[in-house]
Amino acid sequence: MSDNFIERPRYTCAQGGAAATVTALPGGIPILHSPSGCSGNFAWTQNGGAGLQVGGYCGTLAIPSSSVQEREVVFGGDSRLREQVANSIKIMDGSIYAVLTSCVTEIIGDDIKSVVADFKKQGVPIIGAETGGFKGNSYRGYDLVLQSLFKDFLERGVIKKKKRVNLWGIIPTYDPFWRGNLEEVRRLLEELGLEVNSFFLNDDTVEGIRKAGSASLNIVISQAYGLDAAKLFEELHDTPYISLPLPVGASATESFLRSVGKAAKVSAKTTEAVISFEKKRYYHYLEPLTDCFNDLDLQRYAIVVGDASYAPALTKSLADDLGWLPELTVCTDPLDDETEETIAAQLLSLESEYDTNLIFETDGGQVIGHLRNKWPVTTGKYQKTFAPAFVVGSSLDRELALEIGAAHLSVSFPVTNRAVLDRGYTGFRGGLRLIEDLLGAIVAGR
Amino acid sequence: MSHIDQKTPPKREDRLGACIAHGGTICEMAAGKGKKSCLQNDGDRSFTQGNICLLLPALAMLNTLPDNVVLQHSAIGCGSCTHSQNANVRFGSNVRQGKPKDAVWLNTAMNETDVITGGEEKLEQAIIEADRRYKPFSISVVSGCVPGIIGDDIDGVVQRIQPEVNAKLLPIHCEGFKTKIWATAYDAVYHGIGRTLLRCGEQSATADGLSPFKGLERLSNTVNLMNVSSMGRIDELELERLLKALGLDVNVFPVFSHPESMVKATQAGLSISTCPTHDDYFLSYLEERFGVPALIQHMPIGIENTGLWLRDVAARFGTKGLSEQIIAEEERELKAALAEFRPLFEGKRVFISAGEFRALATARLLEELGFTVVGIRSFHHDRFAEVEYEKLAKSSSEDYVVDIANVQPFEEANLLRRLKPDLFLGHANGNGTASKLGIPTHVIYHTALAYIGYKGVYELARRLYRQLKNPAYNRKLAENVRLPYRDDWYGASPFTYITKGGASA
Repeated sequence: MSDNFIERPRYTCAQGGAAATVTALPGGIPILHSPSGCSGNFAWTQNGGAGLQVGGYCGTLAIPSSSVQEREVVFGGDSRLREQVANSIKIMDGSIYAVLTSCVTEIIGDDIKSVVADFKKQGVPIIGAETGGFKGNSYRGYDLVLQSLFKDFLERGVIKKKKRVNLWGIIPTYDPFWRGNLEEVRRLLEELGLEVNSFFLNDDTVEGIRKAGSASLNIVISQAYGLDAAKLFEELHDTPYISLPLPVGASATESFLRSVGKAAKVSAKTTEAVISFEKKRYYHYLEPLTDCFNDLDLQRYAIVVGDASYAPALTKSLADDLGWLPELTVCTDPLDDETEETIAAQLLSLESEYDTNLIFETDGGQVIGHLRNKWPVTTGKYQKTFAPAFVVGSSLDRELALEIGAAHLSVSFPVTNRAVLDRGYTGFRGGLRLIEDLLGAIVAGR
Repeated sequence: MSHIDQKTPPKREDRLGACIAHGGTICEMAAGKGKKSCLQNDGDRSFTQGNICLLLPALAMLNTLPDNVVLQHSAIGCGSCTHSQNANVRFGSNVRQGKPKDAVWLNTAMNETDVITGGEEKLEQAIIEADRRYKPFSISVVSGCVPGIIGDDIDGVVQRIQPEVNAKLLPIHCEGFKTKIWATAYDAVYHGIGRTLLRCGEQSATADGLSPFKGLERLSNTVNLMNVSSMGRIDELELERLLKALGLDVNVFPVFSHPESMVKATQAGLSISTCPTHDDYFLSYLEERFGVPALIQHMPIGIENTGLWLRDVAARFGTKGLSEQIIAEEERELKAALAEFRPLFEGKRVFISAGEFRALATARLLEELGFTVVGIRSFHHDRFAEVEYEKLAKSSSEDYVVDIANVQPFEEANLLRRLKPDLFLGHANGNGTASKLGIPTHVIYHTALAYIGYKGVYELARRLYRQLKNPAYNRKLAENVRLPYRDDWYGASPFTYITKGGASA
């Protein structure tokens, strides 16, 4: 880690995360209050990092942008924004418009709040968020959009419904597996008998989002992202939240369902029945893998490199579901101390009790050094090499895998070398996908 | 004092009067001076969609340089476009050096405190740490919008820190809000290269008037083939093939060339551009300071244009006869090979969208294949392209629309719904609108694909033939998804939101 730079940042800025988040809402139209280049930067970022997914209904280069220039920097950009919003509403067919500010328009002090408020008064479904890039990375932008949505778009004072829950914690696009991940968790929650609003899936509606305040529980499947939004939601709409690790694979999903069941007041009987049914199916699929899993010696040492959700979640699945040996887990997000502690705690309570090493390191190029510290290169006739090994990380960890002779799978952003549509790694089904993809990478040359 | 002596290069709207907002036609654009043109008075848009800024093409060049670290001084998001550009770097280094290699890019991640207190100190420390950690030959220090607004002086930082580090430091100015013409990127990078790696004052004049870098000999038979990353290796090889046939040695510059070896560019007998949008700034510098003459007209895309380009080169080396032989033979072979594709192409209507020169040259190529051009969108306009508009105005029997727009897919959607072309060629991340309208599409630029020279014509024809043979993906897509525009937008003039200077068609 360096105090002065971040190497190959595995995210973009707050505005980029915010724009992708708005694009993923049903009928969502982001309106960037920024210089002209910001949305193009996001387009190329997604093109290279999001498993071949770029944009959506209104994404990337279709996104309205005030395209401020030196003139606005000098004289202010409020009137340009007003003109841009008015014309965006005329041209763009949307259900939710969201004005998102940039570094430039925040530094020059444009007052977007009054612009947004004026359009809202006219009945336009519009929100605004201050997402200047210096505020943080794409994960921060996701949280800021949710906060704005909860504050300015959701109806206040709606009657709570017992079995209704909201689900979030996965950032659209910057988790390339966002749709599959959300879908599987949503499916499992529905199996528990819950009614789910997940904001960003095909099943979600603007009406459902407006009424999100009726939920009795908010489920955040992250211990790092979307938590400020959850706190604000509780304050404004009086709905408590539960923050749980991203449930990847059978073991994590089992405890996830028990925690959610308890918090959502689902009967233990129902929860256990769902777990039992899902596990039975899961092992029904695994059963015929067993010969090859053993005969081909498919157990691996592993290095996991990922964001604050994936790094611990993948590590847990490797250790607790597959019986692999995740020796080094590298979390590449810059986090505050408290969040780091929460992430670390996840790995201290592994079911397998496997002893992992967790490191917070933003710079992927430094991972090899951390590995050598833990696992020095030995010489002599009998060598305890770090092999056979696997690197589960992002596309940027291919050089590491090559250097140590390990197989590799891209899961955490950037995922440049895979096509991702509805694939996900959460839940029981996601656990099976993960095993397929890991073992598939090992036997690809068979 | 010329531009290169200033800290920052001028923006293109000042230097060339380049413009981005105009709805016109091919005949009007060809009419040139005296007629109404956006060059004298650029328009504005009262509704705009986002596009790129100069930072993106600048990084596309800098990321390819071996042994160079790109140090982005900005908030954390600027430069994240490198995630896709890195794919090009990996592919490009694999085909050139036999091994895919990731670019090294860093970001100072300016935060709220840096915005208030200034980021110069952080940048200083970042340079020192990057130099120690990566031990690169050079570090490109690239500034984004934030330092541009808060007044960080990256040139001052570089000057202060240079004595403390081994790497050569190249300040590159990419403050996105300062120019609407992203082609200013090429000037920004060339400016940094010129001022740092090819600093003049160290050269010695030779008897023939050329002045290569001090200590180097002049290679009068070597030509600089300029590539700012608009050509993949496959296209470089095609042009090298043709130039070698004229008896010339080729030095490709500057993408993928080691910063230490860039001085070779001063030894050449001629610099050849493939696109005036890219190179005019630096070619003037090479000519003025190192006596390397330059050729900068015609883009070798299409049969006629490749011939014109090659003839120009041959004329400079007194090998005109040889070039005529090569061109005749190439054209004979190519035309025979294209014969099987022509019946499918004949009369099909095509819309083209790209950087100005590329769009115009590709339009001419498509005419040569039998297509009829029904519309062009150029990302900007400057005077270099006037001759290309003239070529197209002459070759078309009917006038057609030209939209000068830095992308703006809403104008494109409106135009495409009216024109209903049979084929659309657009830039990367620029084919989605046409695809969602069910129009067969093809990317107009990709470094893994061939476009340039005679082979480029054939390979492009082959790909278009494939696309037109089965456009089921786009057709089905259009049946099931829609564009994000209101229905009444399609009834309005496509240029409704161009205000002030720009005229409507």
